[in-house]
Amino acid sequence: MIPLARKTLVHEWRRFLPAVLAVAFSGLLLLMQAALVFGIFGATAVYITASDADLWVGYPGTQSIELGRPITPRARTALLMDPGVARVEPFAWIDGDWRGPAGTGGVSVFVSGISPRPEGMIFSDVLTAAQRAALREPFAVIVDRADLPKLGVPIGGRALINGQLVRIAGVASGIRALGGVNVVASLDTARALDNDTGGSEVAYYVAKLKPGADAAAVAARINADAHGYAAWTASSFARRAILYWMFQTGAGLGVVFLAVVVFIVGAIITSQTLMGAIAGSVREYATLHALGVSLGSLRRVVLEQAAWIGVGGLVAGAVLSFGLIALARTQDVPVQLNVPAWLVCAALVMGIALVSGIAAVRALRHADPALLLR
Amino acid sequence: MASDIHMGYTSGKLRTEILRGLSLAVDAGQLTLIAGPSGCGKSTLLSILSGLQRPDAGSVVALGEDLFRGDRHTLDRFRLQHTGFVFQGFNLFPALTALEQVMLPLGYMGVADAAARERGCAALEEVGLAGRMHLLPAELSGGEKQRVAIARALVKQPQLLFADEPTSALDAANGQIVIDTLRRIAHEHGTTVLCVSHDPRLVTHADRVLQMEDGAILGPVHA
Repeated sequence: MIPLARKTLVHEWRRFLPAVLAVAFSGLLLLMQAALVFGIFGATAVYITASDADLWVGYPGTQSIELGRPITPRARTALLMDPGVARVEPFAWIDGDWRGPAGTGGVSVFVSGISPRPEGMIFSDVLTAAQRAALREPFAVIVDRADLPKLGVPIGGRALINGQLVRIAGVASGIRALGGVNVVASLDTARALDNDTGGSEVAYYVAKLKPGADAAAVAARINADAHGYAAWTASSFARRAILYWMFQTGAGLGVVFLAVVVFIVGAIITSQTLMGAIAGSVREYATLHALGVSLGSLRRVVLEQAAWIGVGGLVAGAVLSFGLIALARTQDVPVQLNVPAWLVCAALVMGIALVSGIAAVRALRHADPALLLR
Repeated sequence: MASDIHMGYTSGKLRTEILRGLSLAVDAGQLTLIAGPSGCGKSTLLSILSGLQRPDAGSVVALGEDLFRGDRHTLDRFRLQHTGFVFQGFNLFPALTALEQVMLPLGYMGVADAAARERGCAALEEVGLAGRMHLLPAELSGGEKQRVAIARALVKQPQLLFADEPTSALDAANGQIVIDTLRRIAHEHGTTVLCVSHDPRLVTHADRVLQMEDGAILGPVHA
């Protein structure tokens, strides 16, 4: 069988290039908006994703870190008793009111009370051992470098959190929060800053598992006998937090809406280009039809071309996206992508190409052999 | 073959009758030429006789089959199995070499690649293009393109071959080659070749010439 679709694509690539580009840019738009949304809303799960804990235990039904409630210390005992758990660490999460020097007013802050030991799990990816050790000093805190102007205090400066005097002992990067400022302190400092419970209870316990232990299985074991607390694997808790923010703020719906728009625009442009290409060869198609090749077979040629255009657009779009994401990273633009997002975008891109092909098939109506006899 | 064919077009409120009760029989294994001035309806007649277009009234029987009794798919299948076409424009795919153009319809007939290649080479040799099989249409002259188109029609080994003004875009020498080829096909393969043309050069080469005017056959003129 002569591969008419592919041969024509290669030979007349100039004619098909606009369609490939339309598909590529549709893919680029879809991917970039996904990357931005995941990048921006990924901040809501930074406590989880920047830590090396395998398991999180918190108040039942908690949808995002900041919605945590104090839980019973029995949760810690339950974790320690599980054969799969290696280490357990409390994590305090407290709302705070930051009062800096006059001129910055009050700032809402989220105080993370973490273990100052070198093997501490929370923020293990963003804090050095020295920074952790600095937190041992009572009322020492660490903030994100980018938040300093908002707080109005330089490194070493002092301010009030919930009425207690704290000192900025250092700065880190990669711990910015969405809708507030993350302040990292030791557990002891956090307890002292907690006006609600007086620090007797924390909102979370995190656990490191023994090598080979299955996080989902341990979580299931803990949940089977839990009263007043619940366990999640780190990845499922992070996903919960991101999804909660995306849909609570309507951003998720925005993404879906924009994806639909991109899909439609991409499909219209691609189908128009394809129809143009078919119209250019309509006499040849009509000749084949005269020779008895059915319209169904001709349609398959067009759909095959559309599929190849989709593949070409996918490759070009992926290359462009990689470049743009790399550029965004150098400019501190929050972008983040995961495999499911890539797969969904790839499926949408192929969808655009195939829907265009189906629309372009209509151009074959003009491949009436009788037109060759006029 | 054809009896009492009526065909007309409606353009706006105007109804133009092109064929008015035309009847005609074409002999097998001959080159039959339908000649006549442009606009006399000869191309329309060809498209009906070859099953490309359904007449308003009348019937066409070819190879013992009533063409317009079945649906579109039956007609497609009939054309795929039994007919070849040569058009005024050569209508070759720009992306395919001469050999690929010729092999293309065989693929749709379900002929395997190796056999299609063999038959394609043979058909191109028959039209004198053995040395130019691997050239694209852009690299071929007008006469060569028309010979590729003939080979594409021939390779199916059709019982019926239809040609519409096959020489009108060609110079005298190339026109001559094309006519000779069509005639040879009729005589050597026993193919029924029906050619429509107003080219007077063809008249002397046809086995039978039908003069047409105003939608009717005036009468046979034997060459």
